This record gives sequence, structure tokens and C-alpha cells, in this order.
Amino acid sequence: MRLLEVKHLFKEFGGVVANSDISLEVEEGMTMGLIGPNGAGKTTLFNCIAGYYRPTRGKILFDGKDITGWPSHQVARIGIARTFQGMKTLPNMTVEENVMVGAFCRTKNREVARGEAQEIMELLNLREKAQSLPTELPIAIQRRIELARALATKPKLLMLDEIAAGLNPLEIKEILQTIKRIKEERRLTLFLIEHVMEFIMTISETVIVMAAGRKIAEGPPEKVAREPKVIEAYLGEKYAKG
Amino acid sequence: MGRLLKDIFSFEDRPRFERIGFLIFILIVLVFPWIIKSAYGRAVMIKFLLFALFGLGWNLIGGYGGQVDLGQAKNVGFGAYATGLMMLWWNVPFWVTVPVGMIIAAAESFGVAYPMFRLKGHYFAIATLCVALVWKELFVFWDWTGGARGVEIPIRPTPNFTYMQFGSPIYYHYFIFFLFMTQLLFMNWFRKSKLGYECQAVRDNEDVAASLGINVYRTKVIAYTITGGLGGVGGSFMTVYYLYIDPDFVMPLDLSILIAMTVMVGGAGSIWGPVIGAALLIPLDMYLGAWLGAQKRLGIDFMIYAVIMMFIAAREPKGIWGIIERMRKKRA
Repeated sequence: MRLLEVKHLFKEFGGVVANSDISLEVEEGMTMGLIGPNGAGKTTLFNCIAGYYRPTRGKILFDGKDITGWPSHQVARIGIARTFQGMKTLPNMTVEENVMVGAFCRTKNREVARGEAQEIMELLNLREKAQSLPTELPIAIQRRIELARALATKPKLLMLDEIAAGLNPLEIKEILQTIKRIKEERRLTLFLIEHVMEFIMTISETVIVMAAGRKIAEGPPEKVAREPKVIEAYLGEKYAKG
Repeated sequence: MGRLLKDIFSFEDRPRFERIGFLIFILIVLVFPWIIKSAYGRAVMIKFLLFALFGLGWNLIGGYGGQVDLGQAKNVGFGAYATGLMMLWWNVPFWVTVPVGMIIAAAESFGVAYPMFRLKGHYFAIATLCVALVWKELFVFWDWTGGARGVEIPIRPTPNFTYMQFGSPIYYHYFIFFLFMTQLLFMNWFRKSKLGYECQAVRDNEDVAASLGINVYRTKVIAYTITGGLGGVGGSFMTVYYLYIDPDFVMPLDLSILIAMTVMVGGAGSIWGPVIGAALLIPLDMYLGAWLGAQKRLGIDFMIYAVIMMFIAAREPKGIWGIIERMRKKRA
């Protein structure tokens, strides 16, 4: 079943075209990767889907519903959760409270929210840090907090924006394992932006490549990586020909 | 129902030293008028409880919600005038005027919140300040509110609980303590409620809050509306305690700022912050101000105020409560 569908999406900022005629489909249960050089418009596309930006033109369908232009809190409630590029924690709330805020998306009851938060913290190995403030913890753990918080909203589609950025190889391996595990346990569909190639190439079933606001390639990772257009976008024309 | 009551009355989730401190505080306030016989000392205590009450309400939007509101005096004014005018015109009992004042203050807050929350940060703070100033000028200008002359409450021949007029300040002491405790317990419920969590998330990061399904705008409007209603309670008390109100007394800019200041000094966004802030600033104002005034050194107390404020702003944004929490963490 098709979970997310983007049709001919354009996003312009003044004269700058950040997304130009993007179309894509994400099937339920799959893992979709989104790569491209800096400034390709990946995060802009995420922001359009998640309701932070209103697309200039085009349509976004989720679960068959037209969600184009919905505000982000409604997008979250319908079942799309996201994490942010860089670090965005709730700095004055404890780890447990961070996750509880996510859980409150689906319940009014504090005890239910706390139970849900504890379950997810267990899943992500955050139990011991429950009473710490996120800003006191290392980056790798802060990333897990973001993941936990997003997960607590009980999404169908989880969009991760550079979740592995700034982590060391060991931590990348860890978070890769974690993401695979939660995908299984929570029956998630994943859509992720990543610069770390070994990460995105191992986890994704399909990869979309963007450059200069356009979609330039789509397919299985090993095939996409060999496409001249993709190599050109990353390394320049010279290498693509050779 | 049981859960609601538990949320209101239970401080179980707070560490033990806080609960013991709170208990000692209650005991001190309860025996206070029997130990302190001086009228001035009792007046200081009542003013402290009044400002702690103001602070508790303001803490909802200013502390938990993180929106710097510099116009709480208008809500105090709505409460004060609702009680004053209804008593003057129709002899309405005090306990009826309180909810009416709260509803008026909340309704006005709801009305202005809508356009005001299109603004953020400093611009929002300035807007709240302006709205409060406009209301104050209107109350000076209007005839039906008594204008600049204000409202005088007719004195009842006998003390009574219907109009809350008493001969002895002891009654007022327990009366304001009762109002203070109800508001404290309300805030105790609030901080554990879904709305409480949502407000804090909005304060910490609006983008994250929205990504977790929180309607940021709506949350702010609701928080601001409730804060407005809570501000009215203290205003109603002022009317029956001072028996005279005018716009310069119940809704000046100074009052708005002092309310915000007590909470920030004490610790915004914590349940005890407003109480600690009022416990420091009000006696300081009443004793130091009076003492320095008698020495013909007017204005020095304001300088001391300003220094405290600057110190807190620069060194400890979480106020005195932030310092206490940090010390405790270091020891643990």
C-alpha cells in the first residue's frame, strides 16, 4: 500500500527554487533514503511534508488523504513523526518528560503517557538517563532521545533528518541497529535523509537522489551509486565521464 | 475523580526536602499572626502572600509557558473592579464577585491573546505591556468606573464573611492564605497536566512542540487566558482588604513588572519559584524601603532591587530556585 505520495511538488523562496517538480512514492513498510549534496533541497522537502513549509505548488498525500499545507501539529497527529537536522531537544525538561510530551500526542492521561514513555525508553536504552536533562548528555544519546520522542507519537511514517551526523563509526553502527530494531517492533515506514553513505546504503531499499532542487535518480542503492548523473552531482562532470 | 484529587493534593513526586520545607512554610504561616503582634509585620505577611498569589498565576504563562507577559496588572484590575463595582452597585457578596472577575479577566485575555500571539519574544512582551496601559487609561477616563477617583467600598457595620470585611488583620491573613493555597494547589495540578507539559514544550522549542502534535498557538492562547483568570483573584482580594481602589493602585505598570520580577527572581517555571521570589522581594521592599525612606535616602532600595535583578538575569536565569537545585545536584 502506498503510504506517502508527493506529486509535482514545488517550493520557492522568493526567486530561489528549493524544490522543483518533486514526485515520489513511499510504500508502507519500506525504507526510503534521500541523499544529495548540500543545498540540494532535501530538508526543504522534509519540511514541506511535515508541514513546516507550505508548498508553492503540488500535492502531498498521506494514507490516501490530501495533507498539502496542513500545519505541522496536524501532520504529527495523522501519523508522521520527524526528527530535526542538528539537535533540537527540549532543554529544560528531563529525558522522561521529553518522551512524555511525544506520548501526550495520543492520550490525555499522564500515567498512560508515562507508561508509554518508559516502554520506549526501555526500547532505546534510555532508562538510566530518564531523570537527566538532555543537554547534559553526549550527542549520541541526545539523538536517541529525539528518536524516542518521535516514536512516542506512535507514527506510521518516521522521517529522520541526518540522525547519524556527527557520530563516530561505532555510534553509527549502534544507531543503525537501533533504527532497524524499532522499525521491526513498531512496524514503521522510514524515510531518511543522510550524508553518511555506509548508513543510508545499508538501510535503504530505495534511494532518491536530489541535486539543485531536482530529483535526479531513484532506485536500489547499489544501482543509484553507479549512475553517472549521481556521480556528477557529487564529484563534478570530470569524474562522471571517466 | 480520585486521580484528579491526587493530582491536586499530592506532592509525592517532589523530593523529600521540598515537602518538608513546604510543611514548615505552612506551619509558619499558620502560627504567624499569633507570634507577630505588630500591625506592620502582619501587613508585610499579607502583602507577601498576595504577591506570591500573583506570582503563582503569572508563572503559568511566564514560567511554564515561557511567554514574557508584562501586563498582568490589567487582570488584577479586572478582578478588583469587578468586586468593587458589583459591591458598590448591587451589594453582591464577595464570593460571587470573584468568579465574575475571573471570567471577565479570562475573557479579555482570550480576546487579546488571539492577535497578540501573532507576535513573539520581545514584541509579544511589549504588546502585553501596551494592552495593560490602554486598559488603565480607559479606567481613568471612564466615569462609570469612578474614573481617577476610583471606587470606595462602603464599610459594613459588622464584620462578615459575605463581604469579607473584618476588624482584625488576622482574618485577612487566613483569608489570603486560603486563596494562595487554592492557587498553589491548582498550579500543582497544572504542572502535572497535559497542558502543563505542552506549555513547557512550547517554551523550550516551538518547532519540536509542533512536531509532536502540539498546536503551539492554541496552547499559548489557553495558557494566557487561564493566567488572566488567575490574576483576577488577587485583585478581588485587594478590593476588600484595602477597601479602596483606583487605576493607579490596582493596574499600574509597576505592578505588572513587580509580578513578573518576583517570579523571575524566585525561579520561573518551578512551583516554588513565585513563593521564594515574593518572600525575598516583598519584605525587602517594605522594610528596606521604609527604613531607607526614614533615613532620607529615597531610591536606594530601587538600586538594590535593580542589582538583584541584574545579577539574576546575568548569572542565574532560573532564579533562586535554580541556585538551590544546582547546589542539591552538586551534593548528590
